[in-house]
Amino acid sequence: MVSILLSHWMRERRNPFLLLLFIGISIIATLMFGGGMTQKMKIDVFSETGELKESEKEWLLLLNKGDTFKFRAQDEQSARTKVREGRADLAVKLTGDDYRIIAVKESPNAQLAEQHIRTVFERELELRAVSAAAGDEKGFRSRIDTYLEEPPLTLQVKGTDGEELLRYDMGLQLMFGFSLFLVMLTIGFKVNTITKDKITGIWSRLILSPVRKSEIYFGHLLYSTMIGIVQITVVFLIFRYAFNFGLGHRYGLLLLVIALYSMTIVAMCILLAGILRTPEKFNMLFPSIVPIMPLVSGVYMPPGTITSPILLGVAEIFPITHAMEALTGIAIYDNGIGELWLPLSKLILIAVLCMGIGINLMERRHV
Amino acid sequence: MLETVELRKVFKGKTAVEEVSLYLKEGESVGLIGPNGAGKSTTISMISSLLKPTAGDVRLNGQSVIKHPQQLRKVLGVVPQEIALYEELSSYENLKFFGKVYGLKGKELELKIQELLDMVGLRDRQKELIRTYSGGMKRRINIAVALMHDPKIVIMDEPTVGIDPQSRNHILDTVRHLSREKGTTVLYTSHYMEEVEQLCSRMYIMDHGRIIASGTKEELQLILSGEETLLLRLDRQHAEFTEELQTLAAVRQVEETELGLKLIVTKNHQILSRVVQAAERFDVQILNIHIDSPSLEDVFLHLTGRNLRD
Ligand SMILES: Nc1ncnc2c1ncn2[C@@H]1O[C@H](COP(=O)(O)OP(=O)(O)O)[C@@H](O)[C@H]1O
Ligand SMILES: [Mg+2]
Repeated sequence: MVSILLSHWMRERRNPFLLLLFIGISIIATLMFGGGMTQKMKIDVFSETGELKESEKEWLLLLNKGDTFKFRAQDEQSARTKVREGRADLAVKLTGDDYRIIAVKESPNAQLAEQHIRTVFERELELRAVSAAAGDEKGFRSRIDTYLEEPPLTLQVKGTDGEELLRYDMGLQLMFGFSLFLVMLTIGFKVNTITKDKITGIWSRLILSPVRKSEIYFGHLLYSTMIGIVQITVVFLIFRYAFNFGLGHRYGLLLLVIALYSMTIVAMCILLAGILRTPEKFNMLFPSIVPIMPLVSGVYMPPGTITSPILLGVAEIFPITHAMEALTGIAIYDNGIGELWLPLSKLILIAVLCMGIGINLMERRHV
Repeated sequence: MLETVELRKVFKGKTAVEEVSLYLKEGESVGLIGPNGAGKSTTISMISSLLKPTAGDVRLNGQSVIKHPQQLRKVLGVVPQEIALYEELSSYENLKFFGKVYGLKGKELELKIQELLDMVGLRDRQKELIRTYSGGMKRRINIAVALMHDPKIVIMDEPTVGIDPQSRNHILDTVRHLSREKGTTVLYTSHYMEEVEQLCSRMYIMDHGRIIASGTKEELQLILSGEETLLLRLDRQHAEFTEELQTLAAVRQVEETELGLKLIVTKNHQILSRVVQAAERFDVQILNIHIDSPSLEDVFLHLTGRNLRD
């Protein structure tokens, strides 16, 4: 068995590019698609009169409450140039207690920003009007604030299915999604070396040697699992320490999920290799089957986006669905093993079934 | 030492091997010869315990090894027909890996690797990747790998298919070395008659899954002992002349060659004059006549009605 691991390792050292490539893609894809989620959109603000007046600075503060946009003072000239040249979707011109939007084209971002600005102005102006009518402006405002913080009536927001709305972190979710997806490719190509070895006759050579068949299989599977664990772990570490992603504090549990997931993917690949028979067919079809899984599982979308019962049912058989649930559970909700046993046991079940059927199929077609 | 008893293999209703009984005595080199698809590789797979026979038995020193192949596997080295090597590793690494698989290590492993590299003449290129080797060099390493554990019996499946003369000579030398210096028992499969003639003391001729003849070179030639070959060099090919020759009673076979015709005829004192008369009738000039006893290729042609390589 050790010699099988050795054969893989010797070849890996010769040719580590695929592994490095998939690690690289995991990182770049997350940064490309997940980067926008964590960064605020920057919007330039300028005043009619050049310098921002005191009252206008107050408006700037109000506009900057909220997570989505970052408003910043800018001189008129450069703000307008940016919009004209398309480097910014819009700019805002403040005119005392009113504003103008400077934009050259319609865009979803501009619409969102416009809506936000309008809400802020309307609300503040209303407050001012009411508090002026009430006479004691300061007292009124502080009472309003208290009310807002501790309302006599609380409204609980629930999803359409009666569940609590999920908290989620799209950047983190995408990072998990891409790592789990790309590791499928790495593991798939590793597992495919079994069928390749059977064709080249290397498998027969090993069968004739004192190494037992179970050891040969075990060596291949162990190596594929380990390389999967290494790949995911490297990506997670890079995001934790270079990009400051919050992964929760249960690292042991994360590692357990990663290991179980890698194992399940190995089993799934064995099954696919068994069904697809030849390494050529596997190389051709596997990379086109695999990307469907994260799509159906909805790992690239906010939780709850997919509602079709058929898709949800299909997603149940994909390991990535359960690994995703477990990982976000640990990183975002601080779930412990008690809350994770369901997705984890589903992973194990899939692993056992795929491995059993897969090895049987492989054996039926060869010595 | 090693024998098969009426081996049979049926693939999905198609019989690939039938009633194959052969034996190898200790230290003997035996050839197994036959055209493509004759069933040689299938037979070898069954002998080396990689394929379960549909019927029949394989025995090592009288004991069946079908159920418990461990004893056989220990003493057996198989050179597969395909190149079973890691292309992305060097030949040194391949030998090292398979040596480790057989439990060799340290100095012993290192010595064995260098000995075999010497034997196949690739010692100075051991650091190069298999992928960069020529077909012949790959075949030489393919053989070396099978010898890492000093097997007592070596089975080679067409080790010289499609390679350069230099590599072929190396391989033939290797086989001679194994059998003469080391006393290894060899089963050598090929569809080159001259190789088997050179290397093997006995041979089995296989066609359509069956062994159709066996014995030493001399014994096999006796099959055609009542016959001889006539090689006619002609000034031109002439179809009607060829047809005419075929109608002669003594002529068994007519084959067109580059320079003229090759006839296999029953020994008969009148045959030469008949041939000459026919040539005169069709105005074909005979430049040269060569009379010979039939070769093993002719025996094969006689037995199967076709050439070894088409
Ligand atoms: N795995 C297999 N399944 C079906 N038919 C096979 C298989 N292996 C070999 N055959 C058939 O058995 C016959 C003998 O093949 P083989 O032993 O490879 O011949 P040789 O080695 O003499 O060229 C061929 O007709 C081949 O098509
Ligand atoms: Mg063959």
